[in-house]
Amino acid sequence: MSAVTERRHVRRDPVNALLGVWGIVVFVFLFLPILMIVIYSFNDGRALVVWKELGIRPYVDALDNPTIRNAIFTSIRAALGAALIATVCGSLAGIALARRSGRWTIGFLALLFLVLVTPEIVDAISLLIWYVRIGGPFGPDNDILNYGLFRLWVAHSIFATAVVTLIVRARLAGLDEALEEASADLYAPPAQTFRKITLPLMMPAVLAGALLAFSLSLDNTIISSFVSTANASPWPVYVFSSLRSILRPEIAAMSTLVLLLTLFALALVAIVLRRGGQSGEEAAAMIVGVEAAPK
Amino acid sequence: MAAGTAESDVGAGAERPRRRAPRFVLASPAWLLFIFFFAVPVLFIFWYSFGYKPDIYRTIATDQLSFDRYVESFSDTFRTVFSGTLQISIVGTILCLLIAFPFAYWLAVKVPPRWRGILLGLTIIPFWTNFLVRTLGWLILLQPNGALSGIMQDLGLIGSPLDVLDTREAVQLGVIYNYLPLMIFPLFVALDRLDPALREASKDLGANRWDTFRQVTLPLALPGVIAGLLLVFIPLTGDYITAAVLGGAKGNMVGALVASQFNTAQNWALGSAMAVILILMILGSVAIFAVIGLIGRAIVRRRRRVEIEPVTA
Amino acid sequence: MADDFRDLKILAPRATAQRITRRHFMAGSAVAVFSSSVLLAACGEDPEPSNGGNSPAAGGEIEDQLNFYHWAEYDDPAVFEDFTAEFGAATKIDIYASNEEAIAKLEASAGTSGYDMVIPTGVFIPQMVELDLLEPLNLDLIPNFENVDEIYRDQEWDPGNKYSVCKDWGSTGWIYDKTKVSSEINTWNDFIAVAQGEASGKTSVLDTPGNLTGIYFWANDIPWTTTDEGDLSACEDFIVNELAPHVKAYDSYPGIALTEGKYALSHAWNGDARQGLLSAEDPDRYVWGLGAPVTELWMDNWCIVKGAEHPNAAHAWINYICDPEVSLKDLAYHGYNTGIVGVQEEAEAAGLEFLDLVFFSDEEVATMDPGAVNEAQGRLVDIWNKAKAASGA
Repeated sequence: MSAVTERRHVRRDPVNALLGVWGIVVFVFLFLPILMIVIYSFNDGRALVVWKELGIRPYVDALDNPTIRNAIFTSIRAALGAALIATVCGSLAGIALARRSGRWTIGFLALLFLVLVTPEIVDAISLLIWYVRIGGPFGPDNDILNYGLFRLWVAHSIFATAVVTLIVRARLAGLDEALEEASADLYAPPAQTFRKITLPLMMPAVLAGALLAFSLSLDNTIISSFVSTANASPWPVYVFSSLRSILRPEIAAMSTLVLLLTLFALALVAIVLRRGGQSGEEAAAMIVGVEAAPK
Repeated sequence: MAAGTAESDVGAGAERPRRRAPRFVLASPAWLLFIFFFAVPVLFIFWYSFGYKPDIYRTIATDQLSFDRYVESFSDTFRTVFSGTLQISIVGTILCLLIAFPFAYWLAVKVPPRWRGILLGLTIIPFWTNFLVRTLGWLILLQPNGALSGIMQDLGLIGSPLDVLDTREAVQLGVIYNYLPLMIFPLFVALDRLDPALREASKDLGANRWDTFRQVTLPLALPGVIAGLLLVFIPLTGDYITAAVLGGAKGNMVGALVASQFNTAQNWALGSAMAVILILMILGSVAIFAVIGLIGRAIVRRRRRVEIEPVTA
Repeated sequence: MADDFRDLKILAPRATAQRITRRHFMAGSAVAVFSSSVLLAACGEDPEPSNGGNSPAAGGEIEDQLNFYHWAEYDDPAVFEDFTAEFGAATKIDIYASNEEAIAKLEASAGTSGYDMVIPTGVFIPQMVELDLLEPLNLDLIPNFENVDEIYRDQEWDPGNKYSVCKDWGSTGWIYDKTKVSSEINTWNDFIAVAQGEASGKTSVLDTPGNLTGIYFWANDIPWTTTDEGDLSACEDFIVNELAPHVKAYDSYPGIALTEGKYALSHAWNGDARQGLLSAEDPDRYVWGLGAPVTELWMDNWCIVKGAEHPNAAHAWINYICDPEVSLKDLAYHGYNTGIVGVQEEAEAAGLEFLDLVFFSDEEVATMDPGAVNEAQGRLVDIWNKAKAASGA
């Protein structure tokens, strides 16, 4: 629709030019610090912030350093687990909100709202106290898996679940129920309707939610610094604690590597989505976690 | 639609088993997660905020409850931290809006559609970089003996090496940068959904650019603006990481105060009281903002009201 | 593509059907990948559950991991690597900046922190023992203990070395940049004057309550360990209202930062100041001064955390670091007197730099006060918090 009414010639007038300039300025603003990190990742010196000379030693050191490697692996493992929990719990809750709403909805939405509004520091301190109090799988008695990792999974998944819930709910609410009803008309039992109609149609939202949950977990610093244990401390905690002593170029090197990996993953996702029929715009919007589809 | 449902009930419904599970059952995993790992722990914090620190060794005692910790939190020195935090977060949110709106407008309305996806993707990339690492980028950039400082001195913009690190301004800059994407995205979505035909219609009816913007674009983009304001203000107020990196001693935000009560001072009661105050500060600000918005909307509506005279036949 | 349509028995617009097949596949595989990697990750490396009980380690096999909760830049990374090469235990270090922080974390985690070793300053050890945060040592597993000079054994705060072995000891002073500070700093009062004057806004102070309040007490000839309310109030008033506004940062490791231009004047520990000098291009530009007329004498110690999961590795480490050669290598890096017999002669023979910041004369030692952790501690922590809030105003 918009393609038809949009004229190809944009009037070359001052306002449009100004807006264009502003757009470029903002882009430069957004990328400047990242550029600094990438440049300084080649800083063969002792401290990150003081340029000594060009070199790739930071990359060698970063990959060589077991603490850094551990931190990254812990981050990735924590993010995978948290994303799984958040996606499953959040999607189910989103379905329930969209398709099975009732009197319980108000209470649940209120709780959701509280989860989203509470500052991270409050979550952090409350979880630390809580984990130590209940012990069990969150303490050394846990023989099945690394209890520090388990702590991170649960801690990271709380906010993420709320976000996924809202994304899935919005997507489902926007879908026409006629499709599901038609499926029922054709004698499909509810489970089959769900499996073959609802699930595929809400899959973009679920995937967007999963991606968002994954990135939220990777980024999580405050909660992680409070609840993490020696055997499971993620990357942001390592960087944050380095801040208090001496920042080294290895941090920039590893961050650049992580950035490249992220870009690669994003590009992959975008390509698959575009092949699946979405426009580049929708794909990008989906990755960001906002709904490009009308509510 | 209703007829269709009735038919399906008559046709196949009679043979299908009734749903027996209650309506909320699918949401129960999330329910349990929130209740058990969010609501209960935070309630503990509320509970602790009424306690006290019994001696230098132990962290909390709740046998005697009082509001003393709240009184202590509002002592002079701590009050300045609360007001300082609010100042940074309100100014930061507003500046984010002012920076993001033209950008989102440009991206959603002015940029040709085939470029939109790529540019939006480019905007996402900083958002996907680690928060802390992005802030470190600014730390590098603002170094007194760094490249930017050198360039600014050469250009004559400043007389001595750049000394903006470890100041409040650096923190302000840092938080605006870190939360800008969260303002851009909802604005973009809202402006993107705007039907260009509406703006064209407005132009056809003789409105100039500014009027079109004020009376058509802005009101329709308002949900996006509100979403952006909330998405930025709420986490910004609780954030202290940016301040820790760029602010030095000047970067004291309430979050850091709460953290230090738990991390170093071992005073869980005071820390909990400060945490509760932080929550109330955020909710209170959002409420005040909502009230202002509603009042504003009522005023605007009243001004725009068009009285239609009853037709006398 | 056409095949997909035939298998799909749903009523949907053609475009949607096309999208469904791809996404369905992607989603399914994504879920499969997620779940399997999560399972693999979870069952992957587990810390060895071992003898984290109440009794000292019995001296069994050395575990494959050793987790330190440590000060920053406090041991040579090469020494850690050598230890791992020789004993097979990988090391991991997490950082704190003050004893209060370490104790708060260990207490809050109540044995679940996962750390094996912590390095508290001596005067804090009684508090940690009281809070049941430390594991008693099995000195039989530390034969190199005999290398520790006798004067550093059997301290007041840990008689019999039940919980600790001396790591090193040091003192507190200042370091400043001559090109930015024209006056000389010989006493704490000079330090205060410069901090409020020439170096205002460019001064860093140590991020610990004891050191921060020590500035006031030592400048005014008041015992550091006073519990007198009048003294404490005067201290609070001074620190919060007259010193804090001039502070640029609370930094426990300012040495290198200062030599890189971040500060003009820094409150520093001697070894950290030395690290700054070692890394500077023109060390003559910077001046170190030992606190005068009175300053601190602190001793940091190796301790094992209660509930440590790798006690055998911990004991092996303590024994390893008490070896004279290893101790010298470590000293060259961190710059504090490790208390091992003969280490000073060795250091001088090895030609290490800036040894005047490492080894102190008897007259200097006579001005150093070990202090104590007493009832005033809570008040000191309070002053510290308020100072930080005031600096941020």
